[in-house]
Amino acid sequence: MNTIIIDGLSFALPLFIMAIGGIYCERSGVTNLAIEGLQGFGAFCGALFAVSIAPLFAGDSPVPFYLAMVFAFFGGMLFSLLHAMLCIRFKANQVISGVVINILAMSLTEFMTKQINASIFQAASNKFVLGVSARMTVPGISSVPVLGAVFTNLYPFEPVIALIALLAWYVLYKTPFGLHLRACGDNPHAVDAAGIEVGKVRLVAVMVSGALSGLGGICFAYSISANFSSNIYSGYGYLAIAALIFGNWKILPTLGACLLFGFARSGGYELVKILEMPSSYQDLVMVLPYVLTLLMLVFFGKKNRSPRALGVIYDKGAR
Amino acid sequence: MKKHDLIPFLTVLLSLILGIVVIALLGKNPFQAYYNLLQGSGLAPKASYAGHKGMITDFTSFLNALTPMLLASLSVLIALKAGLFNIGVSGQMLAAAFVATVLVGYSELPAVVAKPLVVLIGAAVGALVGGLVGYLRHRFNINEVVSTIMCNYIVQFVASFFINVFFVDPVSRQSKNIGAASRLTLVDTVVGDYKMDIPLGILVAAAAVAATVFLLGKTTLGFEIKAVGSSSRAAEYAGIRVGRTRVLAMMLSGGAAGLAGVTYYLGYFCSMQPRVLASTGYDAIAVALLGNSSPIGIIFSSFLITVISKGSTYMSSTAGVQAEMASALTGIILLISACGAYVRERLDRWKENR
Amino acid sequence: MSDYIIEMNHITKRFPGIVANDDVSIQVKKGEIYALLGENGAGKSTLMSMLFGMYEPDEGEIIIRGEKVKIESPNHATRLNIGMVHQHFKLVSNYTIAENIVMGMEPVKKGFGLFKTLDQKRANEEIRALSEKFGLEVDPTKVIENINVSMQQRVEILKMLYREAEILIFDEPTAVLTPQEIAFLLEIIESLRRDGKTIILITHKLEEIKKIADRCAILCRGKLIDVLDVKETDTKTMANLMVGREVNFSVDKPASEYGREVLKVEHLTVQNEDKFEVVKDVSFSVRGGEIFAVAGVSGNGQVELADAVAGLLKPSSGTITLNGKDITHASIRSRNLEGISYIPEDRQNVGLVMDLSLSDNLALKNYFKPPFSKGPVIAGDAFTGYSDGLIEKYDIRSGQGSETIVRSMSGGNQQKAIIAREIELDSSLLIFVQPTRGLDIGAIENIHRQIVEQRNKGKAVLLISLELDEVMNLADTIGVIYNGRIEKIADAKTLTPGEVGEFMMGVGGRHEKA
Repeated sequence: MNTIIIDGLSFALPLFIMAIGGIYCERSGVTNLAIEGLQGFGAFCGALFAVSIAPLFAGDSPVPFYLAMVFAFFGGMLFSLLHAMLCIRFKANQVISGVVINILAMSLTEFMTKQINASIFQAASNKFVLGVSARMTVPGISSVPVLGAVFTNLYPFEPVIALIALLAWYVLYKTPFGLHLRACGDNPHAVDAAGIEVGKVRLVAVMVSGALSGLGGICFAYSISANFSSNIYSGYGYLAIAALIFGNWKILPTLGACLLFGFARSGGYELVKILEMPSSYQDLVMVLPYVLTLLMLVFFGKKNRSPRALGVIYDKGAR
Repeated sequence: MKKHDLIPFLTVLLSLILGIVVIALLGKNPFQAYYNLLQGSGLAPKASYAGHKGMITDFTSFLNALTPMLLASLSVLIALKAGLFNIGVSGQMLAAAFVATVLVGYSELPAVVAKPLVVLIGAAVGALVGGLVGYLRHRFNINEVVSTIMCNYIVQFVASFFINVFFVDPVSRQSKNIGAASRLTLVDTVVGDYKMDIPLGILVAAAAVAATVFLLGKTTLGFEIKAVGSSSRAAEYAGIRVGRTRVLAMMLSGGAAGLAGVTYYLGYFCSMQPRVLASTGYDAIAVALLGNSSPIGIIFSSFLITVISKGSTYMSSTAGVQAEMASALTGIILLISACGAYVRERLDRWKENR
Repeated sequence: MSDYIIEMNHITKRFPGIVANDDVSIQVKKGEIYALLGENGAGKSTLMSMLFGMYEPDEGEIIIRGEKVKIESPNHATRLNIGMVHQHFKLVSNYTIAENIVMGMEPVKKGFGLFKTLDQKRANEEIRALSEKFGLEVDPTKVIENINVSMQQRVEILKMLYREAEILIFDEPTAVLTPQEIAFLLEIIESLRRDGKTIILITHKLEEIKKIADRCAILCRGKLIDVLDVKETDTKTMANLMVGREVNFSVDKPASEYGREVLKVEHLTVQNEDKFEVVKDVSFSVRGGEIFAVAGVSGNGQVELADAVAGLLKPSSGTITLNGKDITHASIRSRNLEGISYIPEDRQNVGLVMDLSLSDNLALKNYFKPPFSKGPVIAGDAFTGYSDGLIEKYDIRSGQGSETIVRSMSGGNQQKAIIAREIELDSSLLIFVQPTRGLDIGAIENIHRQIVEQRNKGKAVLLISLELDEVMNLADTIGVIYNGRIEKIADAKTLTPGEVGEFMMGVGGRHEKA
């Protein structure tokens, strides 16, 4: 039981932070299929920085990990500027832009990882080895039954994500900027008429999406895969998209979707272990989020409303 | 239309120049690297060949790699003409290949029966998955971008489960190799002095391109697809059944994807890797775009992209440029081509104001 | 210091191909209601767009409160206390009224003493107070998608007032309103004037101007024709000036010779996409050789009525019979084949596939029939031959003939293409919805001539128009629609425009009953 909660949370939270980025982007009216590429590029930047400075610190020092998070954050943001440029400035089709950015992120990071390993670290390797970050347990509260598991064996990124998620929720729903952002996804002409620049708001939204995706990416790199390699592109970004659609483009329901996906995954893994089935049965568990999302759309599609101006290129002149 | 046909060429040119800069910055000779790409694809002679190999064998194996890319791009293109984004080509490829592998690949059927059957099953399964996506759009108004992404992962994990449980090769950790009788590529066939891979799939691809040209230009269904793709409201007004047209277009698109799948997994390869989707389906979206969304255009664009990916191994071994440079170059071409619409618009405006 | 709050002097604005404003000068006094009158395309909206900072004039100067200004953006206009209610409202559908109004100028507080936070409570209070002050009757907590058009318009007015606008521009504000709502709006405008606001009203409706405006500038084809004192002018004079000549749209029309009944609609009720009943228990019939015109103010169900007859909307009850055959549940395609031609209101999104060629569009309704196709295979030559013929016959002008992409054609030629296609179908019933909207006078006359020609050939014509003049001039029989019901059906000769107008406003025939 405890393992299910511990593992479920450590998977759900990075997913959640990526989905929040996606919500920011899509609520501003920019379709974001680029989350997969953004999280990978962010993770690459973080991992590269971590391995570069690792020799300066003791083996068990947490400092490289925290710095990696910062770099992944800004790396994802930097790469998201491409999506912003294509979608906002160049008025490219947002679906195509997303797909292209995923392809580019994957090929660029693979190429650079190999090139950097070869020319700087003199190693023929296609990955940066990171290891799994140290875990922590909150004393006292962790001994409470069931609930205590939430505070046991935490990755250090989990509280950070919780904090950022809280902040992101507040900004989106309670501040004037959040009001402008959500309005851009419904009727950008109204925003323009109110004297606010639609392009700027959307730019910020895309950048937030990039930054949070990068953050999510490095968390996966430091937990599940323990390194950076092309394995990072195993669909986390698309899963985040499924989660935000499941959550109807709202932050709290999306948290619910991420937790559901996370616990279904850890619970399924646990079940496979207990029933002593071959590990291949895990694949059936992995299908669950996608099947659920599709079924949800089939049965509750009417209640599920994407932002009205999503994917529509904003042209000031057109009415 | 015709006046803008230059844009894809400019895109490619700009990308190749960018590539030259990057390779030069890495301290390698960019022109040699590009020439290596051509050599690796059998489009230029290499300095020396191993026994039973030659330019012609390189070229047939290049065609072998080109086939799935061409078919996948065709799949994207057909959907695009109906105003739909088929992001699910990779999933449809795997679904088609998985069913064909299990039903025919592991059977003892003779080649004359097995090969056509593989093609038929591939097209049918792809059409089924594509049709499902079209139906979800028509009946439940579920955006095809969303449903194809979901389908991709559902197919990936379901296929992976069955491969791991029933069909796994314990050494390669992939699905067991299919029998030669059902493989669409004739591997190591001795022709004269050469041993070459002959991709029968390229004939399927050529037929599919021709059929698409005919479909879009010369049939009422093609006319309906184009009308629905340009304006579904006007099409409905004209008496065209929009939902039915969308489902049919997605079936055709899925069918082409299914063909791409069997030529990829039962032609170019002979097994499937669990938990991995081919990147071909995603690349194809951009390749279709680069090909100016025309069936003839995508012949050129998929040719180019395949030259880069297929030639990269030889480039890496000869010029010392990492093979991954090739996919990075592809990414850059696709990125620049995504800006094509903008350049087009600016050109139009510039012409108007002149 | 002049008496005028706004002076626009010698304004000229050119767009590619046309001069939208040609040396136009207007002066508006503080506190007056100033009307801009003119037909579609006369340059009213362009002139006001320059005042609101959306375009810059090519020549001329703008003086606000005695100071020469260059208005660079709508924001700049807002800072100069100029506000505008656009024809298409700019509202966020899932926000409350208050959120829509305060957006961009939000009242804020410090959340947790830290973050700039939207003060929802204060926003609601401020908007409620503002609404009460001007008698606008809006509830700030209601969500936009749940309120009607008239209320949405009041939200737009509040947006201007919240930004302390002194000069209020209304662009065709009554086009989307019912008569009661129009009366209410005019009252609001009066009350705004009493509060010292200056109002500019863009319109082509003479009655409104007569009712509330002080002065009226008349524009025709980009030029300022005259500025009149409304009290001293009658509507006839204004109308003549507006179109630049005697208003005489009357068309030569031989006496009607009705044939058999072509279309019969009985107890038809139709819901729109939002499940509102927009056509209620409507019955009428149209005979061969008859022009049946449906008159009514926009938004009273006439478009939905046409859509239902053509099959684009499914009726919830009632029957539609064409040439004696029940087509209530028939598909669009089979209705077309049975003999319905339909010239829809929205020619760009519905009538044409804008990105296909002219020849494809001309064959849009018969591409599947011989000689255009044989079975599932299309004969391209037949398309071009047919299209070349129609281009010649209907004088459709386009850059590259049959190959022209329709999007690049002018609005008038696009409409010609639709009319050519629909007439050539040789259907027994032709439905025209707003066939002349936005076209110039030559094109209008041409289309009117064609409509009458079809009638003379014995076709049944169902004409739906918002222009009362068009209805009066063309109709053999008039049905007046109000609030989804046909209020009156009568021979056109027995009705005066005034009577039709009364029925359109839902007040017709009252004095008869009394």
